[in-house]
Amino acid sequence: MNAPIAATPSPAQYRPAGSLDLAAALAPYSGPWNERLAGHLLRRAGFGGSPADVARLAGGSMNAAVDTLVRFDAAALPADPELADERYSRQDLMLLRQQQVGANSDQITMLKKQANQLRAKNRMTAQRWWLDRMIATPAPLQEKLTLFWHGHFTSSWEKGTTTQALVDQNQLFRRNALGNVRDLTLAVSKDVAMLRYLDNTQNVKAHPNENYARELMELFTLGIGNYSENDVRESARAFTGWSIDRQSGTAVFLPQRHDDGSKTFLGQTGNFDGPAIVSIIFQQPACARWFATKLLSFFVYDDPEPGLVDAVARELRAKDFELAPVMSTLLRSNLFYSERAYRALVKSPAEFVVGAYQLFSIPQAKPIALQAMRRMGQVLFYPPNVKGWDGGAAWLNSQTLLTRENFASSLVNQMTGDSWLGGAMSSMQPLQVAKSVTQTILFGDVAPQSIGQLVSYLGGTGVSALGSLSGENADERVRGAAYLTMAMPAYQLS
Amino acid sequence: MKRSNFLIGAVSGLAVVGSTGSLFAEALAQAPLPGLPGAADRVLVIVNFQGGNDGLNTIVPFANPAYYRYRPTLGVAAGDVVRLNDQIGFNPALTPLKALYDAGKVAIVQGVGYPDPVLSHFRGTEIWQTAAPEKYLSTGWLGRYLDEANLPADNLFNAVALSDVLPEVLVSEKVDVPAIQQLQGYGLASDRNVANRAAFHEFVQDNRVPFASPYLAHVAEIEDHAQRGAQELPNLVAGYKTDATYPATPFGRSLALAAQIVGSKLGTRVLYVTLGSFDTHTTQKATQDRLLADFANGMTAFYADLAAHGNDGRVLTMTFSEFGRRVGENASRGTDHGTAAPAFLIGGGVKGGLYGSHPSLDDLDNGNLKYNTDFRSIYATVIERWLGRAPSGIIAGSFPTIGALA
Repeated sequence: MNAPIAATPSPAQYRPAGSLDLAAALAPYSGPWNERLAGHLLRRAGFGGSPADVARLAGGSMNAAVDTLVRFDAAALPADPELADERYSRQDLMLLRQQQVGANSDQITMLKKQANQLRAKNRMTAQRWWLDRMIATPAPLQEKLTLFWHGHFTSSWEKGTTTQALVDQNQLFRRNALGNVRDLTLAVSKDVAMLRYLDNTQNVKAHPNENYARELMELFTLGIGNYSENDVRESARAFTGWSIDRQSGTAVFLPQRHDDGSKTFLGQTGNFDGPAIVSIIFQQPACARWFATKLLSFFVYDDPEPGLVDAVARELRAKDFELAPVMSTLLRSNLFYSERAYRALVKSPAEFVVGAYQLFSIPQAKPIALQAMRRMGQVLFYPPNVKGWDGGAAWLNSQTLLTRENFASSLVNQMTGDSWLGGAMSSMQPLQVAKSVTQTILFGDVAPQSIGQLVSYLGGTGVSALGSLSGENADERVRGAAYLTMAMPAYQLS
Repeated sequence: MKRSNFLIGAVSGLAVVGSTGSLFAEALAQAPLPGLPGAADRVLVIVNFQGGNDGLNTIVPFANPAYYRYRPTLGVAAGDVVRLNDQIGFNPALTPLKALYDAGKVAIVQGVGYPDPVLSHFRGTEIWQTAAPEKYLSTGWLGRYLDEANLPADNLFNAVALSDVLPEVLVSEKVDVPAIQQLQGYGLASDRNVANRAAFHEFVQDNRVPFASPYLAHVAEIEDHAQRGAQELPNLVAGYKTDATYPATPFGRSLALAAQIVGSKLGTRVLYVTLGSFDTHTTQKATQDRLLADFANGMTAFYADLAAHGNDGRVLTMTFSEFGRRVGENASRGTDHGTAAPAFLIGGGVKGGLYGSHPSLDDLDNGNLKYNTDFRSIYATVIERWLGRAPSGIIAGSFPTIGALA
């Protein structure tokens, strides 16, 4: 059995400069509304959208824009991807259990090879399924929150978790994306992929396994310092008996494995089971602060001020951990549209890749996108460990940024003529084109010298061998300018 | 790293293209040519045996009858073993390494592992790379070395990973490490870029953007580093000539590039190379023999190349693998995930020979070998005796050093 593992603080975080106006932070924003802010909203509450999406939201009011994002039919889930059954048949299992060496050796080898190929295929199918959903979803915030929950309540293919179980968990996140956080925590505690990933299948009365109980408090709900080692032991006892049924592969409660003795947990004593433990955790002030910190760091900016965390935590408790009203407040707040929050986060690989597809209105990812995401440091359904992805500065190194730029370079070639490309080409004036392209991609968040570079590239003056901008080269030049704009530091930021 | 350092980087090979009046390009052209930093620097090459190498069939306990009971089809016949003493010897696939061993340049640390071993590839690799079995750390042990070694902040190549993804072992708080699978194809891929190198410099130099992100300077710094590094490296190493014949494998090509980087004296202190995959669940022999031979031939060529340029004494190579394999072979003529295994230390500073004892085959833990040397003892030894730092700042806990390094 593995030793319990303690998490350590994440790497350096970057809080925006300047000071927070805490009193006004969560009050509704009533300033100007434009494409720049609509783009900001779509990047944070989605993946950026297409220029047409941004224009549509910018054309109405801020409130109307937020309404379209927070109001979605949570029950309207995408159909599961078509996956092959990864589990061995009863016959195959019997064969595999024959341990005498040499017997049926070739048969077993073949069996294992086939199983590996099947698993690899399922994994890629599921990744493409989710990536395509992120790109084409009618409910961007639901998909963004699904990604948020995946990085929060982490599970992965480790420990033999099937792809189907991870897809089921993914749908759970999607269904509960804006639901009650306590309900989601309880559902996750009984989720097949989680039961496998954090070993609760091995948590039985005679030999409690503390892995889930520990991570539940340390990483999912409270954070270190808000519970004792004894609380870990006692809550592990409460989760005994929650397991996976071997026949059906579904979650099951096995009463004979459950410890129904009295437990003392976070100062309360009783015959607690899993739901009781979750309920007690959510009574702790630290719990609301934990989720407030995670939400602010994902949707607003890193390393949020303690006062701000407290304010959002109060909102969470006031709404009994219903996320929809809290996110609605956050996305309409002065804080969210403040200059301190603007481009204050580093895009994750998922945000970069999905955002790029949406920018060019390409409805489906190619398999190369998965390869690129791996090299950018993010494999869907495969976070690095139970802490999830560190994010922020951890996304940035030479190799990940070169991968981003090379991916953008290949993607601009896939942009079709009927996207905004045509509009950008309508003028043959390099300065006009440079302004149009940077306005569409970066909402004008461009330094003067960068515009100058684009103008010289478009006009062919940068390198003597190139001719000036003309109908003959405009298509290639505008694609090139789009790529160069995506290589600017601003485009790496959300 | 401060942004002002951008202008004083190692720029000897930079071809400035275009004539756009870039201030940055002019500054580059005027910067003094650097000398040859790092001519005497010690270099650590770390080789990752990916997938979990079977230690028992690497260093073979041919005199132990239990070995052949556990390995009825996979056991290496006693007559084929390249004997190191009357108990153990090399898998014959390692034969080319015997010359370096006989020259006292190869140390083998036996039975390396750690308490409560993890049998997952992913987490096991993470543990070896972060040197933290009890914690999730965000930096690698060599990343932490880079953080505290005060290497020149303007050097783009203090460490280089010869891989397509930056390995966790080289993740650092302060030092950006490029990951380069091979020189050809490294960097910006598109033809578009040829005409636009100056543009990229402008993008990261002009911070007069209409927003103030806390990450902007950091993104610009890393982008500059990436683009400049990709552009400069081929020129910086172009002068290196070699007669060495490396295996025509990815591993051989990586080692050739590693020797080229070392020989070009870029001040590189750490290089990372991978070999694998060793995950031999089925028909192990063919796969493992091929990889061990690749390792032995590669190391032989590498050190011959280094020696020809006078660099062999300043390059230490160490191997690691996320775990060894199960003692008993499985029904597919393979082995499943296991625990303790040997590690190699080769080259500069090495006092050749065997260290630790071969793990017992009579005292197993659920069919797995018990370790007798904690892997962090090897790390502590390398940090203290080769890299010249105190291990305490880099790996948590206190681990005795071993005598394998002078």
